[in-house]
Amino acid sequence: MYTQESTSAAASSLIDALPDKIDVFRCPICSAVTANYDSLRRHYDECHVAEIPPIMVTLRLNGRQTEVLAPPNWTLQRTLQFKLGLTGAKHMCDKGVCGSCTVIMDGRAVLACTTLVVECQGKDIQTVEGIAADAKWKPLVDAYCRWDAMQCGYCTPGFLVSAKALLDKNPNPTEEDCREALSGNICICGTYPRHSTAILEAALKIAEDNQAKGAQR
Amino acid sequence: MPDLVGANGQREDFRVVGKPNLPGKVSYALATGIAKFGIDYVVPNMLHAKFLRSPYANAKVLSVDTSKSLALPGVVDIVTWEDEDFQTFQKQSFYAAPPGPRRQWLDNYADQEGVEVAVIVVAEDEDICEEALRLLDVQWEVFPPVVNTLKGLDPDSPHARPRDEIYHGKDPFARLVDEPKKGNVTKALTVQGDVDKALKEAENIIEYKLMLPAFASQIPNPPASVAWWFNDPYATEPGPSLHIEGAVQRRELISALYKVPVENTVQEGIFQGGKYCDWGMRRSQEITPLLARRTGRPVRCANTREDTFDFLMNERFMYMKVGFTNEGLITAIDDYSIADGGIDGNASFGTANDHGYGPYYTMKCLNIRQYMEIVDTNRGKMYLSGQHCPFNWDSGTMAIYLIAEKLGKDPIDIAKLNLHGPDSQEDDRSVPSFDVCLEEGKKLMNWNWHASGMKKLPDGRYHGASFRYQICPRHAFTSYYTKLEYRFGKIVMPTQGPVTGIYAVECNAMVVAEELGIEYDDVIVEYNYKEVFTPVGGGSDGTTASAWVMKECAAKLKQQILEAAAYEAENPPPPAMKGPQLPPGPNPLKGYKAEELDLVGGYVVVKKDPSIRRLLEHAALQIIVATYAGRPPDALWSLGRGKMLDTMNTAYCEVAVDTETGEVEILRLGAVADPGKVLRPTSLESQIDQVMFFSQGCQLLEEMVWDERSGVRLNNNMIDYKKPTTLDVPHIDRKFLETRAGNAAYGASGISHSLANTHMVIIAIHNAIGVWVDPPATPDKVLKALGKI
Ligand code: FES
Ligand code: FES
Repeated sequence: MYTQESTSAAASSLIDALPDKIDVFRCPICSAVTANYDSLRRHYDECHVAEIPPIMVTLRLNGRQTEVLAPPNWTLQRTLQFKLGLTGAKHMCDKGVCGSCTVIMDGRAVLACTTLVVECQGKDIQTVEGIAADAKWKPLVDAYCRWDAMQCGYCTPGFLVSAKALLDKNPNPTEEDCREALSGNICICGTYPRHSTAILEAALKIAEDNQAKGAQR
Repeated sequence: MPDLVGANGQREDFRVVGKPNLPGKVSYALATGIAKFGIDYVVPNMLHAKFLRSPYANAKVLSVDTSKSLALPGVVDIVTWEDEDFQTFQKQSFYAAPPGPRRQWLDNYADQEGVEVAVIVVAEDEDICEEALRLLDVQWEVFPPVVNTLKGLDPDSPHARPRDEIYHGKDPFARLVDEPKKGNVTKALTVQGDVDKALKEAENIIEYKLMLPAFASQIPNPPASVAWWFNDPYATEPGPSLHIEGAVQRRELISALYKVPVENTVQEGIFQGGKYCDWGMRRSQEITPLLARRTGRPVRCANTREDTFDFLMNERFMYMKVGFTNEGLITAIDDYSIADGGIDGNASFGTANDHGYGPYYTMKCLNIRQYMEIVDTNRGKMYLSGQHCPFNWDSGTMAIYLIAEKLGKDPIDIAKLNLHGPDSQEDDRSVPSFDVCLEEGKKLMNWNWHASGMKKLPDGRYHGASFRYQICPRHAFTSYYTKLEYRFGKIVMPTQGPVTGIYAVECNAMVVAEELGIEYDDVIVEYNYKEVFTPVGGGSDGTTASAWVMKECAAKLKQQILEAAAYEAENPPPPAMKGPQLPPGPNPLKGYKAEELDLVGGYVVVKKDPSIRRLLEHAALQIIVATYAGRPPDALWSLGRGKMLDTMNTAYCEVAVDTETGEVEILRLGAVADPGKVLRPTSLESQIDQVMFFSQGCQLLEEMVWDERSGVRLNNNMIDYKKPTTLDVPHIDRKFLETRAGNAAYGASGISHSLANTHMVIIAIHNAIGVWVDPPATPDKVLKALGKI
């Protein structure tokens, strides 16, 4: 059974598993293991002169300092999926038009399929897993599930990230604001009106929660 | 046939069924990105595979030199169609295989640009695969392509499949005219009555044309699979075991393809993505076990978005002649259609298999002729049918509109005059469900019909409106095998899914909760690929017919629980080491018989005094399993193959057309639908939105385009192929009626795809400006139709 608790816990464990340090520097061409990044580069100079070595990127991913080694032509979406075990940023159009791969980078919703991982050096990135693992955003996830703001669900994480980015900036949006904020996300299953309903309900709930917390203090 | 609870109307009070906002059983996984689709799987030590995809629409690979590719570092394997592995490997068909020779799974013929052909490359990563494909030295023989369906009709046209003899056998779906296939063309004919005579005698005749472009299905998640072989010491069957992900609910097919016992085939994932009546497997979902066997490592193969532009609906041209009386009663329908049969020359849904049911047979008209020419082309493939109703219902919608225009009447009145009664085309009575839908629809839309070109809005744009109706195309041909387990106060419902963008499993769970007097959350849905129950069927069967069967199963389980409660009240089981412990004190149910007990609110209660009760988990400690196999009583629709009518659905559209810019704005869409009984309102609303937006996209934005000379697809990507976004979609007013006239659970019939349409917006545009614009009605086409450009 998938519940809010179980999926949130699953997201947390994926985040916990992110590597803060790379401990094996393996050559992706010949599988030779080198001692560190510099020796991997030297190995390329010696054995694979025609090839470009992978780059090492350090980023803050869902609140965790993370190191990753990836080919320089790789996108963030590809790196998240194939190197970091996070598959919430989905590959739908792979051309920057559908929003399924949306992540939040330094507070802005960006498309992971058109962002190269080299551009992410030192950036703060939040994926849908980070939102799922954060109890503060439970009302948003709940509202998405209560209102069936998904059918096949493939585009949904991208929408949810766009929705969260909207609420970060505008905790009290109108329906028009929601439509505007989600206009870069395509849902082939046509779930559009349900997203605004869910976001508006979540915004109210989050405001109530904040008020209750304020009163407690 | 047993009807333990009653299909139609015995239950009046619903606690769970019909309740909104109950989260789907997998919704949390989907929303949070935890759900894994085929394309998401990454396993250690995994290789990647890519097919050679044809740059030509109609071609043959004569030879391939793979030596340069094989020499590329990181390339692990290259397989060609000549490899021994492919000699006995045949395409699996969704249908029972037609007789006759079948095509090799991968061969050297390309019948569509971008199709998989001749070679597969396996490498350490996808970039290396791409590079290896570039290094192949391929010799092609290129044939002229057929991507213009009308030109393909010509007896002198190039042949879309010059090697037809090696293709598959006879298409089981084509009702063939008794003449051999010529060139690219297969013919189909279905006749009722005497159309020529009726046309001769008709008081009025209209002739019109409908053009349906090809729309793309674009499954949201590009299909992909990952497979590996392993030795399972616990396997019940000898031999290696196969694990494949990405071939969800197709374990049997994969095991047959690879001749592995199904017991040794593992497919655990449940998320299929949006597969609405798209039941075909793509090659990337079938090939990975072969490549994994050859390389000894897990292999992943994924389609790109560009590879995933199959048809939602084939192109079709319909030339219609309709005879009718001065009152508007249709007396003759003559439908001559030319349909794109695509690369398979498919006469299944979407083409000739639609004959014999559909819009014409809801009418009193007894003289109907449907003649279709199905043209093999190199345009593409339709994997069964998409969200659109298989037959093009709107040829009937358009007849009603045109008759209304000609006679100066409201199309709703013309529709009412023509719709036959519930039982047959000769039944003069009205259909109750239709009458209530229309009544509510008129109210909902403030329906005030005007003739075309007669209403200008204050902003200078022209106003147009349209209306259509459709029955729900239900089949109820299939049986369902249900199982429920009572376990310590909870109910477990095992199922293999599907998780395809419909909420059929949830509807079943709601029915179980309803029947057993428990909450929806207390129905634990256990997804397990080895289970049998799957609420999938044709049309709305998946949801409503399976729910009827599940209701029967729940009724059996309830009976068994009450018997257990009565028995355990007399014979309390001794304490167990595990499981619930009984509370101290006497059992209040002692002395009551099973028939005196009921299940209410999670308690076993005494019917005549519900204050005497015991918590369910304490009332029955034993584990109880109930099963039920069967299907609901026949749907009226299927009894008369679409010629009998019970529940109806109506839709309405209002547009504003700017004759200066050619821009069309949908002001409002309306849907008044009678699904018999609403099982799950939240997803029913969502289903309606979905088909309405699909329909909007098809009529205003979407169209697949080919270069006629090369046969190359020009817009198989999401930049050039436009889908509506949140800023494009109009408001939809919806109203649901519950006549409980359906055959399934509690009188439900579902709604299926019945509101999907290809011409409701197009007709509203005609009503606004008095000219026909073929879909998609883009501003340039509107201006052209108006003679402005
Ligand atoms: S997959 Fe990135 S925008 Fe579509
Ligand atoms: S829910 Fe299927 S693409 Fe949006």
